[in-house]
Amino acid sequence: MTTTTAGGARPARHRVGARLSDALSRWVFMAPAAVILGAMLAYPIFYTVQISFARFDLMTFSAVEWVGWDNYVEVLDDYRFWSSMKVTMIYLVFALPIQIALGFGIAFLINAKWKGRGMLRALFLIPMVVAPVVAGGIWRMILDPLWGIVNWGLGLIGLGPMDWFGDPNLAMASIIIIDTWRWTPFVVLIATAALLALPRDIFEAAEIDGANWWSMLWAITLPLLVPIIAATFVVRWLGAVKMFDIALAATYGGPGGATNVINLFIYEEAFRSLRFAESAAMAVIVLVLTMVLTGIFLRSTRKLEQLY
Amino acid sequence: MNSRDGTTRSPGRHGLMAAVMSAVALGATGGTAAFAQGAGIGTADKPVEVRMVANEAFANQWQTLMVPEFNKKFPNIKVTIDGVPYVELLAKSMLDTTGPSPTYDILIADDPWVPQLAEIGALMDLRSDEVKGWTDPGFDWDDFNAAPLAASEWKGVQYGVPLRSNMLMMFVNKALYERAGVPVPTPTLTWDEYLAQAPRLVQDTNADGTIDAWAVDTYFVREPLTPTIWQTIMNSNGGRLLDDAGKPAFNTEVGIAALETHKKLLDFAPTGAVSHGFSESLQAFRQGLVATMFNWGSVYKGSAIDPKTTTLKPEQVGIQVLPVGSVSAGAHRGIWSGTVSAKSESKQAAWTVLQWLSSKEGEAWHSATLGVFPARKSTLAATPAEPWLVPVFDALQQAYAAAEIGQMWRIRHPRSDAAQQILADEVARAMAGQISAAEALQVAADRIEKIIK
Repeated sequence: MTTTTAGGARPARHRVGARLSDALSRWVFMAPAAVILGAMLAYPIFYTVQISFARFDLMTFSAVEWVGWDNYVEVLDDYRFWSSMKVTMIYLVFALPIQIALGFGIAFLINAKWKGRGMLRALFLIPMVVAPVVAGGIWRMILDPLWGIVNWGLGLIGLGPMDWFGDPNLAMASIIIIDTWRWTPFVVLIATAALLALPRDIFEAAEIDGANWWSMLWAITLPLLVPIIAATFVVRWLGAVKMFDIALAATYGGPGGATNVINLFIYEEAFRSLRFAESAAMAVIVLVLTMVLTGIFLRSTRKLEQLY
Repeated sequence: MNSRDGTTRSPGRHGLMAAVMSAVALGATGGTAAFAQGAGIGTADKPVEVRMVANEAFANQWQTLMVPEFNKKFPNIKVTIDGVPYVELLAKSMLDTTGPSPTYDILIADDPWVPQLAEIGALMDLRSDEVKGWTDPGFDWDDFNAAPLAASEWKGVQYGVPLRSNMLMMFVNKALYERAGVPVPTPTLTWDEYLAQAPRLVQDTNADGTIDAWAVDTYFVREPLTPTIWQTIMNSNGGRLLDDAGKPAFNTEVGIAALETHKKLLDFAPTGAVSHGFSESLQAFRQGLVATMFNWGSVYKGSAIDPKTTTLKPEQVGIQVLPVGSVSAGAHRGIWSGTVSAKSESKQAAWTVLQWLSSKEGEAWHSATLGVFPARKSTLAATPAEPWLVPVFDALQQAYAAAEIGQMWRIRHPRSDAAQQILADEVARAMAGQISAAEALQVAADRIEKIIK
């Protein structure tokens, strides 16, 4: 251990040396992770950006010539891109609030102590572990107008048959139903954990003051949960914007382009039409939009946390 | 030069001389003996490895049944087949062949893919002088029907051989026709007659007050093969996809009428058919729910013969060309061709595999054992090994002829998949009623012209 003396140059040099050594050792420890992160995350993104500004040569399977904003102009001029963006927006506007409301609602209902609650929570995990393509395929069978059990059930009460994948609105509803089936349990899990972590003393005080179930929910539980709800929304948003495989397996983006979400469109343009440069441009546009919207949501979340 | 086992060899002057002398000797002794013995390719101790990339739909079947059969004759060529989903196969093939050291020696290409692969220099000319030396003189190129062989030709160069010659055909459930009192179709049935009969084929077969049988099921869903139905109707009425200058020529009255006919089929199809494609229509037909189905001929065995996959009996199922338009009957070419990678280090062995499978002997085994359709005139003219193949071969020969007359194949161009996807998008929008047939074809023509210019 060194002692500091006033005006001593040697200890000061030593402090600088120690700081440098500390920084160096931190970077040495961080370097492997940073390199791996750079290689696995940053490089593909940079490469995608590079392709988006280039002509993609299929002969060498690489970006060969700088074309500036041409690919972006081409994409922005393609009505199918805008149509897919609109479809994605419709899906997000309906799916996210439904999943959040349903997830927190179910969590609230099963929060009461009762036998078998643990088993029910475990069962909730099942949809999450089913591969999305499998989920899409299974639901395609369940909702099939000819052979599906849903239409059979509706037929028993004199309804239907409903053309779940043939009607544009019902096809979108089908996608939302399948996605909600898959992801609501995730929201339930987070909400359950949040409910269990709420401070009990506030509820006990409210009970002593004569608050009923509804006023406790409205005046205590929900305000306390607002930051969690907001954070869950952001996490689900990040998952939902990647919607692809369920649409691929269940509707192929149809009928027409009614469920052709943007990621499915990008995939088709890249791997079916071999338009890699234009697909890269689309991917970059979606990435930027997602980052901007995620930033807005995160700021809103922080504001809500401060508010409540 | 890098060998497959990774050692580096330099040909050198002596090596070159030896190679030239070997080639001369091979030519002098004749290719037949050389081909029969596997041209000395590999030994029991050191077999030559050949890797193939193919559609996963049949890759496993080939690996487990075809390769052992091939190895009876060529035991020193070890063939490994990787199955890849259809939608990823072209991209994977292109990515592989453009790499510095490609994995695959044989690429199995769907009908419209050869131009795309050929344009990037991925494929070997199978009629070049080099390949001639490895080819059995008994290998009769002229015996192939023109339509399937043309699938692997591009700009006058033959890059492949037909291995699985599929054609879009009309399947008929004769029992449903008889029940409805409608004459069972023949190859002379016209579209007008077909559409006039269709309402009677939408039936309540068990008299419970609910419709349980329909006239037709086929591709209506948003996918690249759906436009083949519209195109076949258009081609049989004299319409064309592209004109002689290579510009879109389908946006005409004939094209619009054909798309409207395709859409009209939905009126006589099962509920939800707008989301039906290959699997759904096949399932409906095999369960006896539809009187006709427009689908690929290769599903015949599973639809009529194999009781594990169909509820129908062989005598119930008919197969024929699609109805006749103003010019000809309808069909659509869907040939899987075998090609050799231009960068393969085992070109001779790869060509030996393809040569055997597309030979008269290989084709006969392939169709008798796996129900795969042949491309050779001699195979189609011969008495098939299985009796059920007799009507199938007749229908297939008619389909080849129709396809040749009407140029019934997808756009052949280095950007053909992009063009096909545009057709899929616009045909799907018309099917879903989002836009009119005329509008769909106008948009498709504009976009395709831009892409293939």
